[in-house]
Amino acid sequence: MRPLAFAARSLRREFRQAELATLAAALVLAVAALAAVATLASRVERAILASAAELIGGDLGLNAGKPLPPEFAAEAQRRGLATNRLADFPSVVFAGETSKLADVRASDDAFPLRSELRVLDAKGTEKTAHAPPPGAIYADRSALAALDVDVGAQVQLGGRDLLVAGEIAQSPDGGNVFRLAPRVLMNLADAQASGLIGVGSRARHRLLLAGDAAAIADFAAWAKPRLPDGAELTTVEDAQQNLRTAFERGESFLRLAALLAALLSGVAVALAAQRFARRKTEEVALLRCLGASRGEILVALLLELGLLALPACLLGLAVGLGLQELVLSLARGLLPGTAPGLPWGPPLAAFAVGLAVLFGFALPPLLRLREIEPMRVFRRESARRLRRFDALYLLPLAVGAVLIFFGAGNPRLAATLAAGFAGVALATLALGSLLLGLVRTAASRLRGALRFGLANLSRRRRLTLLQAGALSLSLTALAVLAVVGPSLLARWRADLPADTPNWFVLNLQTDQRATVEQRLRELGATNLNTLPLAVGKLVAINGRAPDPNDYEDRRAAGWINGETRVSWSDALPEANALLQGRWFDATPTAPQISVDEMWVRMFHLKLGDTMTLRVGEREITATIASIRGVDWDSFRVNFFLMLDPASGAGLPHSHVASFHLAGDATRALAGLSRDHPNLSLIDLNAILDRVRDIIARVSRAVAWVLGFSLAAGLLVLLAALASTADERRHETALLRTLGAHARQLDVAVLAEFAVLGLLAGSIAIVGAGAIGTLLARQVFRLNDYLPPIGELSLVVIGAALAVALAGWIGTLRIARTSPMNVLRRA
Amino acid sequence: MSADTIALSASEISKVVDGPDGRLTILDGVGLEVARGDSLAIVGASGSGKTTLLGLLAGLDRPSRGSITLAGQCLDALDEEARARLRRRLVGFVFQSFHLLPALNAEENVMLPLDLEGRADARERAAEALARVGLERRRHHYPHQLSGGEQQRVALARAFVHAPQILFADEPTGNLDQRTGASVGDLLFALNREHATTLVLVTHDARLAARCARSLQLREGRIVDTVANPAAGESRSQEPAA
Repeated sequence: MRPLAFAARSLRREFRQAELATLAAALVLAVAALAAVATLASRVERAILASAAELIGGDLGLNAGKPLPPEFAAEAQRRGLATNRLADFPSVVFAGETSKLADVRASDDAFPLRSELRVLDAKGTEKTAHAPPPGAIYADRSALAALDVDVGAQVQLGGRDLLVAGEIAQSPDGGNVFRLAPRVLMNLADAQASGLIGVGSRARHRLLLAGDAAAIADFAAWAKPRLPDGAELTTVEDAQQNLRTAFERGESFLRLAALLAALLSGVAVALAAQRFARRKTEEVALLRCLGASRGEILVALLLELGLLALPACLLGLAVGLGLQELVLSLARGLLPGTAPGLPWGPPLAAFAVGLAVLFGFALPPLLRLREIEPMRVFRRESARRLRRFDALYLLPLAVGAVLIFFGAGNPRLAATLAAGFAGVALATLALGSLLLGLVRTAASRLRGALRFGLANLSRRRRLTLLQAGALSLSLTALAVLAVVGPSLLARWRADLPADTPNWFVLNLQTDQRATVEQRLRELGATNLNTLPLAVGKLVAINGRAPDPNDYEDRRAAGWINGETRVSWSDALPEANALLQGRWFDATPTAPQISVDEMWVRMFHLKLGDTMTLRVGEREITATIASIRGVDWDSFRVNFFLMLDPASGAGLPHSHVASFHLAGDATRALAGLSRDHPNLSLIDLNAILDRVRDIIARVSRAVAWVLGFSLAAGLLVLLAALASTADERRHETALLRTLGAHARQLDVAVLAEFAVLGLLAGSIAIVGAGAIGTLLARQVFRLNDYLPPIGELSLVVIGAALAVALAGWIGTLRIARTSPMNVLRRA
Repeated sequence: MSADTIALSASEISKVVDGPDGRLTILDGVGLEVARGDSLAIVGASGSGKTTLLGLLAGLDRPSRGSITLAGQCLDALDEEARARLRRRLVGFVFQSFHLLPALNAEENVMLPLDLEGRADARERAAEALARVGLERRRHHYPHQLSGGEQQRVALARAFVHAPQILFADEPTGNLDQRTGASVGDLLFALNREHATTLVLVTHDARLAARCARSLQLREGRIVDTVANPAAGESRSQEPAA
């Protein structure tokens, strides 16, 4: 036997039949869905990263306390990357009698490499600009207001007279929330000439780079081992905490959609393969009888599958890439700027996943064909019933698990999905078995077609459970795509309500607090929230000085070597959730502390551990009494560490306040700033706009991706289910021959599908609701999310009805044709 | 009979299976010999063990006891894969329910044994075989488009297309009306003569059994009678051909 020729011939012949065509269609749709979703997700992700690059002003940054050796810039230029050198430092700006401490950025002419610097001239006309020429500066609204000057005025900075040539309207500035002072932009040559960034200055030197993603990655690899002490690389990914959360959520949504599409396809492939294997049983028995060996049969089957898979995957790839191109062109404005080029990774991965799904889900029933005994040609019942546990059936589970864990790219998403779907599968098995028992009892008391339909379910017990499992998993996945995904998206969009704090006040002293709060209220500030703030240093954990080398999280070193902020409050602050332990008693006997979960992970902490902080001259050792989850993108004042109020009150501290002030409040707040010169006012509007913009763009893209996955998943599932109606072909024909009315047959089939749909639908409603709640809490950190059970029920019931309808239509075709034809084919 | 002339022999074979009510003996100490080119009919009531015996003789299953030699090879020593290779080279089958693959047309069904051997001329030889059974115009018809008699003629073409040494036929006319059955029987014996094939036939049909050189009567798993038919192979069916 020449297996390849035999497989090719078998494929050519059998393709005329429904099973292989269904298998191929499921595969085409699977790969199409995956390729479209994954490619779109990758392009949106890259666009989001590009947007983050706009925010830091480049694709990669090298930061150092000293000027970076010139070889870095030279190497970057040699690799074709654009470079921008800058230095950030605080300095006092004088305007006549007024002075103000400002955040100064000195830059060469290349600034900014990414995004735009928009500047207003003296007439108020806005234009795109680069760094100011030597002798000039640009200043932002807060700086001009605090100095009480306008564009065109002269100011002094670093002992030089400089012209205010423009007002900064928009600048890619790293979005640092804790920027303490107004921003001034000057030319690097002036800063160097004035000695502002010389030896001993507090300047942070930066080299920003922009260019092709591969060249950036190569350069980062080159630079990393050569970095001088104290220098670090900043990638766009770790550019900004608030934005990162937004990116991560967007990415999780996209990955979720792609994964669900893959799992749905897997279910469809499994159903089609099951049916293909059943149809193939007689052929294999005959081939065995005619002398084909087990090995030859297996090789021929695998080759046949491979020959089917290759063109199907290629076609799926082409369809998928076409579809995502269509989505991109339909949703113009989805991606900022021009769409990034077509990535090769995701389509290739989709191709590979398509093959994995095919072989993973189709192999178990096909491999079992090897076991068929040649005697089966004489007697169907002679096939030995293999009751032993078959490890093969773990293969689809393993492939599903691997898909989830590699596809999720996020252990929490993976664990949530895996746990959710495993729960759904187990619930189906348990409830399905129970229901079949009940149906068996009930069916004996019923009459006619209904009895026949229900009896069919318990007679084909394994098939029923398999179909119920496939249905429950598919309906759950569909419900997550159709209802849970969009409702989570809507909840995410509402995450930054209109009164989100857009200003911070730092350095507020205790004796100023009442006055300043009163002034802010008079100005119309809402959502005002003030918390004490003590700045100290972490000196010990469980009595031992922490060593940065003990912690794999590189951020730990920053906290160990740098300052730590701590606050206290009688009640758990808003946007905080208590994960473990209890909030403080009114009068604790010893100091207690509440720690954010990120710190708990970073420093391997647990309840009952002690932390020692030095604040000023005082050291305080507190026991961890609770662990909190903090919503860092709430734009409220939040702290990793919170002491019990009794212990905190005795520490030297100031206050920090956050509030919302509508409209252009700069001028109004400038008065407050002048009356209380020690206050630092921070404008969060720019970064809030940025986050809102990103959320809007990402959620629009995610909505498209969810919708596409849903449509593709539904199609694949309906195709697979319509084909299972074929199982009933022979019985239906027999009943017709025995004189059954078409109506009786309809009742029998609908009764079967209704029970299947009811079981799977009920499990799917609960399953999707539970997965949604878990996803909200564990992955998207939307703690107050409640799944819309009403909508969920409607969608699932609708889908279950569609499934029953698809099954019924599949049978309808058979019931309306001559039973003679069907019986002769059987 | 000398060893060279024996196509098939079985000695003291038994088959015992586990049933719902305990162990069930299907065959009990059956022994037989069939010479090359000879024909043997196995007859008996339903449940007497005829089909089980045929399956064992063809190497499709193993006996619980006893030994079988097929074309000089002792089947006891061969595993399932080796027996499959032996069947591929030497054995042809005809079944009561035809066992044509519904996905394949007549010609493709006949090609199957040649495909298994990897023969490049499979299509030509299948076409010739179909022409020999009078179905050259039905080459591209699918099984459901053929009558029962036509389906069994396709099955005969498939059984002889690779010129097997031994043909096992299980109730070849059992699913056919008397007239069609007689015609298929004629064709079977004609092809058998042309190819000088050894024939082992399980049948209920006394007239078909009478055309074999010997008939062996099974009852409850034992051979109860063996009859030689001196006129075997010479008579044609009394029914006119279909």
